[in-house]
Amino acid sequence: METDINTILIPSKLCNRAGVSLAWKPCNDLGIFAYERKHSGAQDKPSQYYPTSEASVFHVRQDVILFRPILRKLINESNGTFLNLQELLARKSTNTQEEMLNFSRQYRSIIRACLESLQEDIARSKSEADKDELQNYITIFYSIECIWHLCEILFIDSTPGNVVLPHLLEWVRFHFPKYERNAAEMLCENQEELEMKPEYWPTIIGLMMQGRVRIARGLLKQHSAADTRAFLLVDQCLKAMPQFDVYSGLSASEFHLQWQHWVMDIQSKIDAKSFASHKNLELLMKIVVKDELAWSEIKKHFETWYELLPAWLFYAEPSVKSYELGTFAKYCIRQMGLENKLKHLDTVLLAAMEYDLLEVIKEIQKMSENGWFATHLANLLYHSGQLTVLEKDVDNFSAKALQEFLIVDYGTMLMGHKSLWQVGLSYLDHCSESGIHIIELLLPRVPVDNEYKAQKIIREAVKRELHHIAQFVCKVQGMKCVKRGRLGSALTWALKSQDSTLVSLLANRFLKDYAANGKLRNTDLLFNLGPTMLSSDRLIFLGKYYEFHKLYQDRQFQEAGKLLIKLLESKIIPKYFWYILLLETIPLLESEDIIFSSNDTYMIINFMEENQFDERIKDKLDVLRLATARNLSRAVLYESELN
Amino acid sequence: MFEAQEINAEHKDLIHDVAYDFYGQRMATCSSDQYVKVWDQNAEGKWILTSSWKAHSGSVWKVTWAHPEFGQVLATCSFDRTAAVWEEVVGETPGPSERGIRHWVRKTNLVDSRTSVTDVKFGPKSQGLQLATCSAEGIVRIYEAPDVMNLTQWTLQHEVPCKLPCSCISWNPSLSKNHPQMLAVGSDDANPINGGKVFIYEYSENSRRWIKLETLNSVLDPVHDIAFAPNLGRSFHILAVATKDVRIFNITPDNSDPSGVTKLDVQTVAQFDDHGCTVWRVCWNVIGTVLASSGDDGTVRMFKMNYVNSWKSVAIMKGDGSLAPNDGSKNLSNALTSISQTARYIKLGSIITPKEREASWH
Repeated sequence: METDINTILIPSKLCNRAGVSLAWKPCNDLGIFAYERKHSGAQDKPSQYYPTSEASVFHVRQDVILFRPILRKLINESNGTFLNLQELLARKSTNTQEEMLNFSRQYRSIIRACLESLQEDIARSKSEADKDELQNYITIFYSIECIWHLCEILFIDSTPGNVVLPHLLEWVRFHFPKYERNAAEMLCENQEELEMKPEYWPTIIGLMMQGRVRIARGLLKQHSAADTRAFLLVDQCLKAMPQFDVYSGLSASEFHLQWQHWVMDIQSKIDAKSFASHKNLELLMKIVVKDELAWSEIKKHFETWYELLPAWLFYAEPSVKSYELGTFAKYCIRQMGLENKLKHLDTVLLAAMEYDLLEVIKEIQKMSENGWFATHLANLLYHSGQLTVLEKDVDNFSAKALQEFLIVDYGTMLMGHKSLWQVGLSYLDHCSESGIHIIELLLPRVPVDNEYKAQKIIREAVKRELHHIAQFVCKVQGMKCVKRGRLGSALTWALKSQDSTLVSLLANRFLKDYAANGKLRNTDLLFNLGPTMLSSDRLIFLGKYYEFHKLYQDRQFQEAGKLLIKLLESKIIPKYFWYILLLETIPLLESEDIIFSSNDTYMIINFMEENQFDERIKDKLDVLRLATARNLSRAVLYESELN
Repeated sequence: MFEAQEINAEHKDLIHDVAYDFYGQRMATCSSDQYVKVWDQNAEGKWILTSSWKAHSGSVWKVTWAHPEFGQVLATCSFDRTAAVWEEVVGETPGPSERGIRHWVRKTNLVDSRTSVTDVKFGPKSQGLQLATCSAEGIVRIYEAPDVMNLTQWTLQHEVPCKLPCSCISWNPSLSKNHPQMLAVGSDDANPINGGKVFIYEYSENSRRWIKLETLNSVLDPVHDIAFAPNLGRSFHILAVATKDVRIFNITPDNSDPSGVTKLDVQTVAQFDDHGCTVWRVCWNVIGTVLASSGDDGTVRMFKMNYVNSWKSVAIMKGDGSLAPNDGSKNLSNALTSISQTARYIKLGSIITPKEREASWH
């Protein structure tokens, strides 16, 4: 088993000598350090490494190629397609093959666009290292495109009657486009003696291998000897080639009979040496009739076994059924002598042709694009019903769990990136089992660099009804503001967090500030408190006290007086603040109009006498006594006149 | 490919524990040199030493962060028989950084243990500010700060005798308020005759005390570390145990008993002897999908659950002396000498070509 596992080497002598321990560093990294376990009962003495200058912590992380700016478009566009797909599925229970095919093509065009931009970049890049790196990505994404396309043909775009060859030919034309490109160039040039070009015959053979018979004929007609008997005969033969078409109404056996006749006809012409005058024409005709020598001669034209496969099938098994592909694939691998030389891409393609979907998904997870491919392909295959059918064959297997397992990994990885975390969230939203719990763990850990980002995190939390996370983010922001001395912002955040302890703490700070230097801060905020005031008694007091200030400033002394009395009567005055309220009564007691009734005044007197020995009002006591006495006399006279 | 950034922690002896804050942007280290150090990651990704102080008069075994909701708070435990709670205080005068001059103040010293305090862990934040310690004399202590704004006041709420020397402790981090609080305790007692070495306790609201629900009798060898995984809404809890091998248990509580006593169904779901020797540490990633362990063989190993619910080994890391950079480049990683420099990561070598066999442990 162990040979299957990557062993990563930490460049440290001390780690090598002592051993290592670890801690996870949120979200996806590891901290590794040299370590030696001590038994709980052991003596406390320095280790044998003391003193050391090498006690380092190594932060190990995966180098995620998807985080390269050049691949940002791939991430964002595929995210759009992914979300559209999930949305479509949420809207309706059934989905047509056509829709799934459409999504598959969207994903492929995203890969294609990514490959093109990588190509452009490689042309622009100056350093060799950059070029190598980009070339590496191109290799990765080229493989992905190739596998995805094949999977689309085999698993998503299944045609009636399991006919697969036309699609397979398209696939091979797409991934080995040089013959068609050469042919197009040659035909456009329209010059004499095309056969003098070195690529003339290889192109014709290549076209024939990809089933492009008409273009091959077109090229043959450009040959300077096209009017000779041999050429005309070849053209005639190729023109008569029976085409297998599932919609033609022809049964497979009828087609087979036609094909046999056609091959026999050509074979008899070969035997009659009709093409012997021209070596290349004869080779062409021998290929058509599956002559073994001819096929072994052209093997060198094929770069890979999967280029050979459709060619061989085109002439040997034109009505091949999709479920027979694996057998023929292995045959072609043997023909190319590659049995023991299969590369990763080969293995995946073979697994796909053998319809071993689990093997395909297992293998593509090993590709170096950090799970992008496996996640999106498995999701699409799952929704096309292709994974679910495997459940009856494999013990303990759940298709849903498999695709969610991939989404969890992919989403979690993105959540660890400073600007892709929202994309990550949108994937985790689609893991019914554990998604919301994972979001609950990861969302509050998104580092809050600024207030804007805090707002974003809060919005995402509220959208998912994770109100406790929204409150937590507010609270942490509030605490940060407190530490920076920005009490106003701190109070705003604290109110949003609905944490009454923090709110009270801040209201206290405001009041103590006022007690110390006679100035109220952040009056705008206090003015607009509204019902949020109710989150803490201390804040109610602060709010009401500010209201009193405001009335007083606006010279609404009657109203101010009423409010002040209410405050004095209330049970919410902080211990450190009552004397300030008492002192505030003096100017109102002394004002021209009578503001406090006799009852009010008695209340003030009681309050004052209760606290007469307090240091803080000692020197104001005389003034207060005088003011209250004067106001009382005025009020009593006035009240008696009224009665 | 994997890459690593080296931070020379400037401890004079081996580091015993490294703890990252909730966001992974701060790091606390502790060592046999009796010091605790706090490191902060700057905007360029470099780690800067912001505080270093002699925290205890013996080896500092463990360091751990409280939930950030309670501010910047650390707890440590030591051979000197104490555990301590530390809070970062920001000075009034503005310092070189925007947050002013900061230092860590010892808020309390918990001196109830008569022997080495081997582990310290903050409880789940839904329960307020709680702290569990365990000690070589075999007692688990639960402390609580009733006023989270005043960390000088801690009350010893519970003393739970375990009878065997305790080496490690883990709170069940279940986010659900429906689950009673749960603790797992491990003992590194070496005598198999003394029975199981992992104990699971639950807090009973009715009797207001911690009740031992289960002793894992299948674990008879010394236990060096223990860790509950995040729950993710499962009906069962996952517990990893570092003993002579790595064990993973599924623990399913059954509350159907009319007496109100929870019964536990405990199943061993994985047992890895990959280390081939004693396992020292077990540690879950944030979402509990990957378990990392370290052991006497000098490696860190990672295990992951696959989609058919079976645990598989996915990666190995080990120290390699031959690849260590020479002393010249080592200075580059010294945080103090190169303040303006951005984070430097080096590509890590591996034994199997990474392109073909990339293990993903995210």
